[in-house]
Amino acid sequence: MSIIDYDPSMLMAILPELLLLGLAMVVLAADVIWRPSQRRFLAWLTAGGMTAILVLALIFSRPDASQGLILGGMLRHDWMAFAFKLLFLFAGAVTALISLDFPGVGERGEYFALLAVATLGMSLMASAADLIMLYLAIETTSIPLYILAGFIKVDDKSTESGIKYFLFGAMASTVMLYGFSLIFGFAGETNLYALAGKLAAGQVSPWVIIGAAVLVLVGLAFKISAVPFHFWAPDVYEGAPTPITAFVSTASKAAGFAVLLRVMLAVFPQVEAEWTAIVAAMAVATMTLGNLIALAQKNIKRLLAYSSIAHAGYAMIGLVAISQLGSASVLFYLIAYVVTNLAAFGVVVLFARAAGSDEIADYAGLSRRSPGLALALMVAILSLAGMPPLAGFVAKVYVFAAAVQTGLVWLAFVGVLNSIIGLYYYLVVLKVVYLYRSEDEDKPIAVPRGAALGLAVCLAAILIIGVLSGPWLDWSLGASAALF
Amino acid sequence: MTLVQILFLLFGLVTLLASLMVVTSPKLVHAAFWLILALAGVAALFILLEATFLAVVQVVVYIGAIAILIIFAVMLTRRVMHDTGPQVNRSWWVALLVSLVLFGGLVLMLAQVPALAGTPAPLMVDQETLLEDLGRALVDADRYVLPFELASVLLMASMIGAIFVARPPSGSEERSGER
Amino acid sequence: MPTDFLPIAVLIALATVLAFLVVLIGHLFGPRRPTATKLEPYESGMRPYGPGQRRMPVHFYLVAMLFILFDVEIVFLLPWAVVLRQLRLFALIEMVVFIAVLLVGFVYAWKKGALEWE
Repeated sequence: MSIIDYDPSMLMAILPELLLLGLAMVVLAADVIWRPSQRRFLAWLTAGGMTAILVLALIFSRPDASQGLILGGMLRHDWMAFAFKLLFLFAGAVTALISLDFPGVGERGEYFALLAVATLGMSLMASAADLIMLYLAIETTSIPLYILAGFIKVDDKSTESGIKYFLFGAMASTVMLYGFSLIFGFAGETNLYALAGKLAAGQVSPWVIIGAAVLVLVGLAFKISAVPFHFWAPDVYEGAPTPITAFVSTASKAAGFAVLLRVMLAVFPQVEAEWTAIVAAMAVATMTLGNLIALAQKNIKRLLAYSSIAHAGYAMIGLVAISQLGSASVLFYLIAYVVTNLAAFGVVVLFARAAGSDEIADYAGLSRRSPGLALALMVAILSLAGMPPLAGFVAKVYVFAAAVQTGLVWLAFVGVLNSIIGLYYYLVVLKVVYLYRSEDEDKPIAVPRGAALGLAVCLAAILIIGVLSGPWLDWSLGASAALF
Repeated sequence: MTLVQILFLLFGLVTLLASLMVVTSPKLVHAAFWLILALAGVAALFILLEATFLAVVQVVVYIGAIAILIIFAVMLTRRVMHDTGPQVNRSWWVALLVSLVLFGGLVLMLAQVPALAGTPAPLMVDQETLLEDLGRALVDADRYVLPFELASVLLMASMIGAIFVARPPSGSEERSGER
Repeated sequence: MPTDFLPIAVLIALATVLAFLVVLIGHLFGPRRPTATKLEPYESGMRPYGPGQRRMPVHFYLVAMLFILFDVEIVFLLPWAVVLRQLRLFALIEMVVFIAVLLVGFVYAWKKGALEWE
């Protein structure tokens, strides 16, 4: 036996996480070494690093055929987790790009290092297969995000956003941790894939399991901002630096769904009927409330916040379906939603930098000030609204199809009704952008190269996923097979 | 009732009352001091549960470090030392209602567990080797090495964040960049 | 066993009783002849100025942060050190990685001037 007893393939499985940790350290080192004038390249360094990690992960750390538990059951190296990891890396890279030269954050090493650590935490959230690992991963994601939300210390709104996110997040994660501890107490086991068996063997009353499931749901519903744990989202989204709003509303939400899928399907099959009923009720409330309140919004960040609440509701439909198609549709939905929302927030970032405002009314005349930005916003908004042939449309179709396949026609119906409500406020934004005139029309909006690159990649992804959805769905189906 | 049960109730009561004082005392410094008592009560509970290492950790980390940090943080604040504002806002009854419902639900739920009504089974571990086992588990690639390493990443990130948040804005940091 | 902690419990009880006792005895039997100077708060023999509860410099907080860092490090080091002789090289490497990551935070604090006392 050698003196070093470990299996190198395990390290390859967590290669993206190791590299992300390395990236965080490199960024911190660069922040200390570089002169202030050079520090704007930190954004490029982070974005480039994450892209490189994405490519390396694709080459070296693809799951093998067994898709089994690794590192003592702490992680499950399956395609579902891998797909989410790639998604987080993509979102992290785009976030870094749109943070380029963003006032107050664009030159801060801490900012990009924390971004990398949050991405690392999300990757581990998606693959965690053990309660201890899961909780640590969730905290590794959340704590950097709390700080990032309040990153602009001189701005009271940003500080408020950070504090609110922290207080509500700490509360939700406490409740979830209590649920974890109850589950552990009853089963004497922390591995997600051994828990269901132990709970069944221990003759634990279903009511107790439902209670624990509800406690766990509280924490995860907070992460995905589902009603009734959504109230933090608008304030946090509005106050946080906009690139972070983009990151929280996309990657962090997707990470919440990754955990939700794995935990709910693996740990609570005994009380499936009950938890699906609860999640279905939450999905209806989330969609409806999100869309209805969005109708009244005047600020684009708040509008997108409520729209993102509504989108969590749509994605939850796929979870309720409990089928391979259902899980695949959630993954597909999140991929489409992440690229779309990143593009939308990218435009908001660029506009706010030029115009200094997030009010929808100020978007008047954008089509004349910057036709490119207006086009990008249009594509993103139409995809959010679910218009063919864009990604958002196909994603909704698959989610509703999964619901219908499982016999939840009413839920799909509610979803369709909500999409129609949503259409209204999305089109109002486009109306302001394209039809209204303003006095500032002769002031063009500068689009830096980095942000343009990020936007272009997102737009291309929206179109490709929308037009050529077949291969993506097959891929999602293959990934979701790992959960069953 | 055995002696252990009496002690458990005693320490539980102390912890509860101290926690109550934490949230009700109007002065933040007093709340911080009550928190130390609550943390000490938890340490005593750990001892009764035969988790002696956790009890030591509770004293060293929570009472020794976290409590100090909290007191320093309180001393950083400007006016809250003499906070005389109302302790509750208009929605206090909603919070009370939610808490009571949650508490009742949890009690009802735990009443369903037959094992909680009987006498607890003796712990099936050897106290002598507990610490050694923990030491091995932390670095064993087939057990908890990943959470162990992740804990350091989490600590590093929260420290960077805390320092960033606590550092006085501008001025001093531009100079530190030149070094 | 919890009984092993009996001496500690006795010690805590004794210390508490003694603390009260000392104050009580002084209160009961000590002479009291207050003057204005005697009633002033004691501030190392200096004439006290300003309120007693004023804002502390932020450096104390940063130092406390670093203290937590090393405190937690010790908590993890202790069980590891107990069995170090039976472990392989891999265990040593893991602890080095753990400490290295924490050191990054420390170096960051250092470089950013958290340890500078102006």
